[in-house]
Amino acid sequence: MRVRTDDEVYRVDAVWLGPPKATFPWRARYVAWGVGIVVFLLVTAVQRQVGFGFDFINTGWGFVITIALTRFICSRISHERPLSSVMTMWVRELTSPRETTSGRGGAASAARIRVNHQRPRKRPKKRAKRASAATPSQHRRQQDRRQKEVRGVRTPA
Amino acid sequence: MFGRRRDRDRRSAAHVAQHAAAARDDRKVYSKRGRRLPGEQAVPNYTPSISARSIDGHLLRTGQEVYAWYRLAPQRWSFRSDSQRQDLIAAIAGQYAELQGRWMHLRVTNRPYPIRMWAEAHVHNAVRRLPDTPGTLSFDDYMVGEQQQLMGRSMAEKEVYLGVQVQTRNMMDRAVERAAPVLRKVFPDAVDAELVAIESEIDHLDQVIGSAGLEGRPATAEEMSWLMHRSCSLGLPAPRNLPAVPGAPWEPEDLASFTDAADFHQEPYAPTVTVRGRTGSNAGIKRHVAVLTVGLMHGLQIPEQDDPWVQRSDRLPAAVEWSARIYVRRPEEVSGELQRQMSKVRSQVRHYTDEHELDPPQSLARQASRVLEIDDEMTSGFTALGTRVRSWWRLAVSGPTEREALRLAQGLLDLYKPKVAIEHPEAQYAIAREFIPGEPLSASAYLRRGSVLWAASAVPTATAEVGDRRGILLGETVTATRRPVAWDPWMAQELRDSSGLTAMVAGLGAGKSFLGGGIVYKTLRAGAHWTLLDPSGPLAALCELPELKPYARPINLLNAQAGILNPYRVVAEPQLDHFMDEEDPERAWRRERALAAATRRRLVLDVLSGLLPFEVARLPQTRIVLLRAVRTVGGRPDAHPGQVFEALRRDASEHHEHAVVVADFLDEMRERMSLLIPEEDADPYNEARDDRLTVLTMAGLNLPKDGTGREHWTDAEALGVEMLNLAAWLTQRSIYERPKDLRKGVWIDEAFFLSEVPTGRVLMNRFARDSRKWNVRVLLSSQIPADFLKIQGFVTLLDSVFVGRLDDDQAQADALRLLKVPVGAGYEQVVASLGRRPGGVRTNLERDRAPRQFIFADGAGGVERVRIDFSGPHLEHLRNSLDTTPDALREGAESTEIEVSSPPQDPFAYAEQYSDEYDDELAADLEVGLTDELVDSAHGEGGNRRPGREGAA
Repeated sequence: MRVRTDDEVYRVDAVWLGPPKATFPWRARYVAWGVGIVVFLLVTAVQRQVGFGFDFINTGWGFVITIALTRFICSRISHERPLSSVMTMWVRELTSPRETTSGRGGAASAARIRVNHQRPRKRPKKRAKRASAATPSQHRRQQDRRQKEVRGVRTPA
Repeated sequence: MFGRRRDRDRRSAAHVAQHAAAARDDRKVYSKRGRRLPGEQAVPNYTPSISARSIDGHLLRTGQEVYAWYRLAPQRWSFRSDSQRQDLIAAIAGQYAELQGRWMHLRVTNRPYPIRMWAEAHVHNAVRRLPDTPGTLSFDDYMVGEQQQLMGRSMAEKEVYLGVQVQTRNMMDRAVERAAPVLRKVFPDAVDAELVAIESEIDHLDQVIGSAGLEGRPATAEEMSWLMHRSCSLGLPAPRNLPAVPGAPWEPEDLASFTDAADFHQEPYAPTVTVRGRTGSNAGIKRHVAVLTVGLMHGLQIPEQDDPWVQRSDRLPAAVEWSARIYVRRPEEVSGELQRQMSKVRSQVRHYTDEHELDPPQSLARQASRVLEIDDEMTSGFTALGTRVRSWWRLAVSGPTEREALRLAQGLLDLYKPKVAIEHPEAQYAIAREFIPGEPLSASAYLRRGSVLWAASAVPTATAEVGDRRGILLGETVTATRRPVAWDPWMAQELRDSSGLTAMVAGLGAGKSFLGGGIVYKTLRAGAHWTLLDPSGPLAALCELPELKPYARPINLLNAQAGILNPYRVVAEPQLDHFMDEEDPERAWRRERALAAATRRRLVLDVLSGLLPFEVARLPQTRIVLLRAVRTVGGRPDAHPGQVFEALRRDASEHHEHAVVVADFLDEMRERMSLLIPEEDADPYNEARDDRLTVLTMAGLNLPKDGTGREHWTDAEALGVEMLNLAAWLTQRSIYERPKDLRKGVWIDEAFFLSEVPTGRVLMNRFARDSRKWNVRVLLSSQIPADFLKIQGFVTLLDSVFVGRLDDDQAQADALRLLKVPVGAGYEQVVASLGRRPGGVRTNLERDRAPRQFIFADGAGGVERVRIDFSGPHLEHLRNSLDTTPDALREGAESTEIEVSSPPQDPFAYAEQYSDEYDDELAADLEVGLTDELVDSAHGEGGNRRPGREGAA
């Protein structure tokens, strides 16, 4: 049993040889013409931006640059790798994750944590009766509570 | 600064919260403060870095679609006929065609051979194993050695998964999933509604994928976990221990266990992507993965000349991961596209000819005709085999360094040359991600279009599986894939209800004794009992192995007590207690007893007429008088052939005279038949011994040359064949002396005689019938497969077959018949080439010590070429004892002066060597009358080779 792919059917080299009866000396695919036009417009736009005037010489150079660029681009694409997927792969190359060489985080330090041996407890009620000491003790308790909290350590969250 | 810290504290509160829970009693008092705890909201939201969002059973959901994943069954490929292979491809193509309009994701991954699991199963299976003898290789050391032998090699088992798109998900489904935690409390049905709605769809897919061809079954939770792990840590070694599989569906947060195991990174336009392991056994391990893709492909002749093109990658000595995205197109989409292509071609032709008056390129004409062909394929016929697919096939190989990975990639390229182009595209990272289930296609480059038939002819499931997973290790397969072969000789009887008959056929020096000896040794260690009949004798060396010695007994039958081969005693008397599980034990036992008596009579008749000169035996009245005498004596177990002689003399019929003549003839040979007739009050069967291994040898037995007709046999040869037959019955008797369930084995070497004597077929039938009931594995080995084929109905009784190298054309075809492999399909060359070293071996002075190869049919459908491998250092003593190749330079040989004084081929040297084993009278008889036989008999003793067969082989 001979099995084969259908790829051949989709590899039709659609070329434009030029206007009828006026055959160009080169054979370029339609996609090359399309790329060429876009590249020419871009090149011309860049020339204007840089400050070259619109004259015969500059346009001629523009053509030359366009042909060179188009040939370069067209050498990169084929039926296997259409222009669109080459562009996609180019984007994928740019956006793929890189190796991170710089370290993140660093050593955790527990130097700033204040440690108490015992947590504060409620005082026995007898002592609490002393009205004058009530306010400072409450204040101290709040302070203690803050001490209990862990500070300066990065949490794994 | 402060504010930030407070924020961090709040996040940490979630972790602290558990500790705080202990102080729940206080909460009543500080109820206000408890309300201020941030609760669940503080847990940061997790979004997996992959597209997959949840896994429910075999359903994998991404944001956009639901995929059902299946594990595909391995398919045998080698040693099948082309039509069977074509049927398989057509069946798979038909299944693909039914999935029109769906995307499929084919993943081929691998699992290292679970050696630990094999060892576990093997030890568990080794019931009543041999007690260890102090100072010798213990069972534990033996198991360690076996495992180390496998560990040295990398043998992976291929696993193929297929994901099929069930449907796309809409906004509502996603919203419901997002709101699931809340919705589950309020309206639980709504959460499951999405999956419930596609239930019938999934049932349909289960059915399509599960039918013959792909034979896929829904992947289990463990398999999904394995697939995700292997894909997310592409190219890393297999994790030694996977996290436990949850019983509940995987939520997005659980997927972190897959994605956190490794991370990928690459430099721009680098040829490989780097995968770094982060957790578990792979932590800190780095691998470079080269991802390739299948490029243009020539036409392939798939079953006839070429392997299935995905299976081809199994030949690479490293594991290759595959990921293929296949879209099965609807016919209307394709026909529109074909028309467009056609008009493109036409306009091009017109452009060339009409507008520019140029000749159009040839390719245009070819393309036009191919369009028509495809159109024809799609519209003709009633099957959907013309359905078209678009597909992208990616392969990945990995190595510890970039260089290594690229070397393997180059290896793949070379492997597929010249018919298939393998490309190495850029965007390695993006393509590597395609391997993860649920990820989208990264780029449309390297699109392959074709029919479903073409896609099916990839047959990724084609494997080389043979044997089982708990038996003794025989070696490894040597065709497309390399995987270890384990075989449990009692699995067929215990689990599959098939017979325990195994044929072993191989030419001289093809490794029959080595294979059989290895099987016997390894199964003995695992608790089996064996009885070996080895006429030539080298297997008696097994009894000398220190760990077997206390449990083994070699018996030279020619030197044994008189009457050991008494035909009335070699057929065992049935015991009543063996029939207790029958419906009517008494009746079954009686029937069996009658059968045993008949068998005895038949055997005696057979043996005695076999011993008579051919001309006498051929006369009809001989048969009549013998039959009558045998009937007079009856079938009691305590009778003996001497009584038959007396009965012959007492014959009172019209053939009385002839009966006396026959009795005279037999009496003449009486001295030589001493093994058949017991002396008075000295029955060798009175003492019973229980040995694990009994080796019956008959060194010095005189056997006829191959192809010699019965009429040309000498008396000694006829006696030899009959004694061999009786010895075979004796081994069979050993079965019935042991409990039914006990694993027993019988190996009859030189089993050619079974086709020579009429009772051979009776013995075969008994073996076939009782091997299952009595849990016996019967190994029959011979050099010529035709010996077995001559026994009517033998092939249907066979369970498993080993075929070694055979040189004769006819023998090769016969061997294939035994294997039930198509004859004339080119497999004869395979049989001829088994275990042969390529290249100029003629001038080589070194011995060919390469492991021997066999074609092994395991009786459960697997047929594969295997290499017998007992090469572990722990088996060295076994190898030495099984080495039957003569070596004049061996130390032991130097000491015997006979070896030094004469070449080993000298027949008289052998005769002298073995002369003490002869029965004195027999030797004398031979010397007096038949000198030509002496030469024959001398040949018969040497090694495990029979005279005459050397010429035939």
